[in-house]
Formats: sequence, structure tokens, C-alpha cells
Amino acid sequence: MIIAGLRSRDQSVLDYVYDHYSGALYSVVLRVIREEDIAQEVLQDAFLKIWNKIDSYDPSKGKLFTWMLNVTRNLAIDRTRSKEMSKTKKTDDLALSVNRIDNQEHIELQVEAIGLLENLKQLPEEQRFVIEHLYLKGYTQSELADEFNIPLGTVKTRTRLALKELRTILKIN
Amino acid sequence: MNIQEYISSGVLEAYALGDLSAVERVEVEKNLIQYVELREELSKIEDMQETLLMSLAVMPPSSVKAKVMQAVQPQGKAVAMDTSLIRWKYAAAASVILALGLGYLAYDYRDKWIHSQVALNELITQSQQVAQDYNRVNLRLDKMENDLKVINDPSFTKVVMKGTPNAPQSLASVYWNDRTREVYLSIQNMRELSQENQYQLWAIIDGKPVDAGVFDGNVTGLVRMKDITSGAVTFAVTIEPRGGKSSPTLQTMQVAGNVSKS
Repeated sequence: MIIAGLRSRDQSVLDYVYDHYSGALYSVVLRVIREEDIAQEVLQDAFLKIWNKIDSYDPSKGKLFTWMLNVTRNLAIDRTRSKEMSKTKKTDDLALSVNRIDNQEHIELQVEAIGLLENLKQLPEEQRFVIEHLYLKGYTQSELADEFNIPLGTVKTRTRLALKELRTILKIN
Repeated sequence: MNIQEYISSGVLEAYALGDLSAVERVEVEKNLIQYVELREELSKIEDMQETLLMSLAVMPPSSVKAKVMQAVQPQGKAVAMDTSLIRWKYAAAASVILALGLGYLAYDYRDKWIHSQVALNELITQSQQVAQDYNRVNLRLDKMENDLKVINDPSFTKVVMKGTPNAPQSLASVYWNDRTREVYLSIQNMRELSQENQYQLWAIIDGKPVDAGVFDGNVTGLVRMKDITSGAVTFAVTIEPRGGKSSPTLQTMQVAGNVSKS
């Protein structure tokens, strides 16, 4: 329904999609690009790309959110490369990234995020480490492997185990 | 291919994250088409990832949405979004008001239309009534003109029939043309009868009563009766059962008069 709406250039559907997913996508951008002004530009570009390139989305290759996430994340990563942003900008302090969320005046989401962090504590240390870096600190798997000298294959299997474990903890599926 | 081994490698999670190279992506997509287990597993991973990222959501400032929505406007102009958004809201409000206004007008016009339709029907009925009245008056006028012609016609003989002892107050006249055999009756004063009875006019010709037709007590003007043969000497009226009889009931005679010899 959403996909058909976007493809038929229905702006009300884009309105809905934006309201529903902009928060998640913005947080992804923010985790890659720490500067809010640039992050907002990237988010805007991402939604325009989603709107303009919707015909290139193939539902047999994954869900709409995954596609939007990839579009957005790739734009964000491209931007860091073009600006030659230093990876040192990524903060290693988990508390700091939570503070960022606090600052956004989104109490409801903040509670959810804190709840998630509580759940992350139940993961084995090496799995939590991977999830924190990939989803909270905006690392790619390759960056994580390079920076911490972990084989890429290990990063992948740990990612898998962590998401699987989280599924159990959160009682999803 | 060992599906479980493939899944355990974490390649699907990397795919969902968007961390695979282009070549690796194509490979995964090819396998997804081929193996339903991979599609099912990917779907679970995607759901988990979405849940994770949704719970970490940070709302961007509303200006970003305004810019996005303006940029996708078909004839989007490079105007500051805030004013354009306000204008858009005014336009929406205006169109709602316009729609309401049009709705009211449509209702109002329909109401007026129905009213005019009713008024028109009334006028049509009235004019039909007037036409009927006119026709009725016209008929009466024709009849009066005709009556007047009969009364003034010297070839008609007027026979006054006076009340008998049965009805001393009654009075009626006959206008009779011996040549054309036409007979007209005119009531001056005769009481109304019940529904079962009628008056019957008789002409006495050669000593015998001849039926000249029946009439009711409430007729006005001249009433055309049956033609009779010539030679009538007397006219008389009796009360008979409705429709009349072949011979008069003499006991009920109301009026009678002799033809005066001229």
C-alpha cells in the first residue's frame, strides 16, 4: 500500500512515511554524522532520493524500511567521506550517545532507547560491543573490523548472534 | 549450498545493514530468490533491525519535513517553506470553505427550485381552473342565448302550467314549436324530488297522454324535452319513478296547462 502510494506520487503517503520513519532514519544519520545541520541536510536528501528512486526498490530484495535505511545510511557515509570527516568524531562513549538522544527532547523515544540499552546489557560482552558500534555509534562492519582488529567474518557472525539473541530477549518472533 | 551455514555466517545481517559490497549483494539477492528459508530468515532480521532502530529514533526538526514536502510539490517554487506551508494551509481551508459554500448554494438552489416547481404547479392548476370556469361560463352563456332565442321566437308557443290541488304553488312553462316539434321546459317553481322519483312531462294529443321526457326539479333555464307529434292541446307533469313510465300516474299530477287557441 505504502509502496504503491509512493510509486503513484501520492504526497500524502510520503507525508505518512516521513512521520513514521524520519526519527529512526535521522538517528542513523546522526550516528554517522555528528553535526546536526549536515545530518538534517542528509536526511532531507535521503527522503528526496526515496521519493525519486522508489521505482528502483524491489520488494523481493527486502523490506521498504531496509531499503530506506540503506539509502539513508549510504548518503550519510558518502557525506563523511566527501567531507573527509574524521572517524575520531565518532564517540566511543555510549553514555554520550544516550545524552544526544536526551537532548532531542523526545522523552517517549528516550524511554524506549533506555529500555533497549537495558536489554543490551543482557547480551554477552562481545555481542553488545558489536551492536553498540553498528547501531548506536554508526560504524559499518568494515570500519569496526579495521578499527578494532577483529576479522570481518567474526564481526558478521557476532552481529548475527547478537540480533538473534535480542530477538529472544525482546520476544520478537 | 548449506543454507544453515550460509545463514550462520551473518551475511544476511550484513545485507540488511547495507554493509555488503555490490558483488556480495548481487550474490545474496540471487540466493534470496532461490531459497525461501533465506527470505524467511532475512525477514526476521529486518524486523529486529527495524525494532532496534525505531526505539533509537531521534525526531528531526520540523523544518526538514517542510523542506522535503515542498521539494516534492509538482510546481514547487523556491519560496521559504514556512510561508508556503501556511499558504497551503490557507488554500486547504479556503477550499473547504469553498466546498461548504458550494454545498450550501447547491442546497439553496435546490430548495428554491423545488419551491418554484411547486409554485409553477399551483399556477398551472389555477390557470386550468380559470379555463374550466371560462368554458363553463361560456356554455352557460350559449345556453342562455339559445334559451332567449327560443323564448323570443314567435314560432314557439308558450304554455303556462299551473299548480294542481296536489301542488298549488308549483308553476312551470312549456315552449313548443308545433312545426319543428321541439319542446322546451322551464321551471318557475317546483319542489325537488327524492332520488327515486323524477318529473315526467306529458302532452295530450288526440285525447291520449304522450311521453315528452323526464326532468329533475332543480334544473334551471330551458330544458330540451323529447320531440312530440303535432296537435298537442294540453301539457301536464306527473311524478313518476326515475326514468319515467309509459303512461302517467294521474293522481300525482303537479301542474297542467292548456294550449291557448290563437
